[in-house]
Amino acid sequence: MSTSDPNKLMAKADKLTTLSLTRWSADWKSAVLLYEQAANAFRVARNYEKAKLAFEKTSKGQEMLSSPWDAAKHMESAASQAKEMRSWSEVADFYRRASELYMQCGRSQPASDALAKGARALEDAVPDDAIQLYTDACEILEEDGKEQMAFDLYRAVTSVYIKLEKYTDAATFLLRWGLAADKCNASNSQCKAYLSAIIVYLYTHDFKQAEKCYNDCCQIDAFLRSDQSRCASKLLSAYGEGDVEEIKRVAQSSTISNLDHVIIRLARKLPTGDVSSLKSDASKGEEEPLDENDLT
Amino acid sequence: MSVIDILFRVDEICKKYDRYDVDKQRQQNAYGDDAFARLYAQMEEEIDKAVQKAEMISMEKNRAAAVAMSAEVRRLKARLMEEIPKLQKLAKKKVKGLSEEEQEARVDLVFALSEKIKEIQDGTMSASKQTGGWGASSSNKNILFDSFATTSDTDFDNNFFEQSEESSQFRQEYERRKMKQDQGLDVISEGLDTLKCLAQDMNEELDRQVPLMDEIETKVDKTTGDLRKTNVKLKETVNRLRSSRNFCIDIILLCVFLGVASYLYNILK
Repeated sequence: MSTSDPNKLMAKADKLTTLSLTRWSADWKSAVLLYEQAANAFRVARNYEKAKLAFEKTSKGQEMLSSPWDAAKHMESAASQAKEMRSWSEVADFYRRASELYMQCGRSQPASDALAKGARALEDAVPDDAIQLYTDACEILEEDGKEQMAFDLYRAVTSVYIKLEKYTDAATFLLRWGLAADKCNASNSQCKAYLSAIIVYLYTHDFKQAEKCYNDCCQIDAFLRSDQSRCASKLLSAYGEGDVEEIKRVAQSSTISNLDHVIIRLARKLPTGDVSSLKSDASKGEEEPLDENDLT
Repeated sequence: MSVIDILFRVDEICKKYDRYDVDKQRQQNAYGDDAFARLYAQMEEEIDKAVQKAEMISMEKNRAAAVAMSAEVRRLKARLMEEIPKLQKLAKKKVKGLSEEEQEARVDLVFALSEKIKEIQDGTMSASKQTGGWGASSSNKNILFDSFATTSDTDFDNNFFEQSEESSQFRQEYERRKMKQDQGLDVISEGLDTLKCLAQDMNEELDRQVPLMDEIETKVDKTTGDLRKTNVKLKETVNRLRSSRNFCIDIILLCVFLGVASYLYNILK
């Protein structure tokens, strides 16, 4: 039977499942078997369209047999075939369906893995959808209290944002990463996330925002005591003084070289724009607090 | 008879016949009972001797010998200074046959004598005279310190801080080695930073693995339990099967026996 034409297998399985006068209930068990065989045969033959269809039907059959796990697995296979076909919307749909099925089994990790796979597939083609998938995957894990598994996802999202040059979004996401790290007491990752956020803000030449970010993060004890906060304060003071050499030197330091390579690339490109203008702004800013302290 | 014996004998004879020594008697008679005059004359002699010695020092080329001689001169001076108060007492005593003016003159004589003693050159003064004699080096004892201080003023300007070639080379070598050490320490610190980061990441990764391991443990425990149960059931079934097989064999044998019996019965009938 395995050597027979997969089309024939498909036809046979279809017959088993369609209801008619002679058939009152569909025989999903055998149908599923046939569908699977057909799908594998199509995959080997690199007939993506038919393979995808076959996998879809297999998955539906498994659902009918109330085995969501197998259904989800077949859905994933269908999605990978769709990826080969480059029909991106289908890829996204299939992976989402697979993730839902996994959640039905009560297994959050495979669910988020499915979404992550989908996102990775869509990264180059439809990055916005990819980001959406990644975010959903992170949420699934966070709901289940498995934040530590989400770190890789956060990293991937940050790199996609930076590739899209959406730096404020990237920085926001880095701060979210810091929050997740805080929840699971991963202080090293937390401090690295905060330092990365500060660097991203500096890359956009938004010195005020970077300073604000630094001040906010210093409220957190773990960050305050860490190497990364020292490095950040050195960087900010170098910016404040308009000392380009110092900025470059801090960017070469080992603390920054231990961050994610996307961030390192940004750091090496610092300073962007004119640093001396920041110096004059900083000195102007210092005069204002004196007036504020005036209680009149 | 040895020389020493001769000397002793000569002394004894001289002592015995002292009163016949004309020069000596004349000398003693000249001063008579005047102890002051006698002492005065004695001190003058010794002062002259000391002055002579001091002159010899200034001519002396050998420094060690000069130092020894100046020490001796100093000793003589000290001894003479001790005798001065004795002389003063004697000067104040009234001696018969001496006028008032001469009495007063004696006091002045004593004073002049003490001044003369002080003026005798000894080692310390000569040293100061040699180097040019600056400032009022009043007392001999302090000259040493002053000279040190003043020599330091002049010498510091010229030669004191000048680095010899050796010392400047040494300093350069020291700086070079210090720089090398600093470089080495920088390399070490960077390596340590990397190690620290790696260690922290490993720490976090292990933290991540811990709940996964716990899950695996529970799952594996459940699976082993299931397996054991299944094994037990299987054993039971197999036993039952075997026992039922025995039962079947029994039945078959019984049937065969009945068949054989009925056949015999038919034949006998």
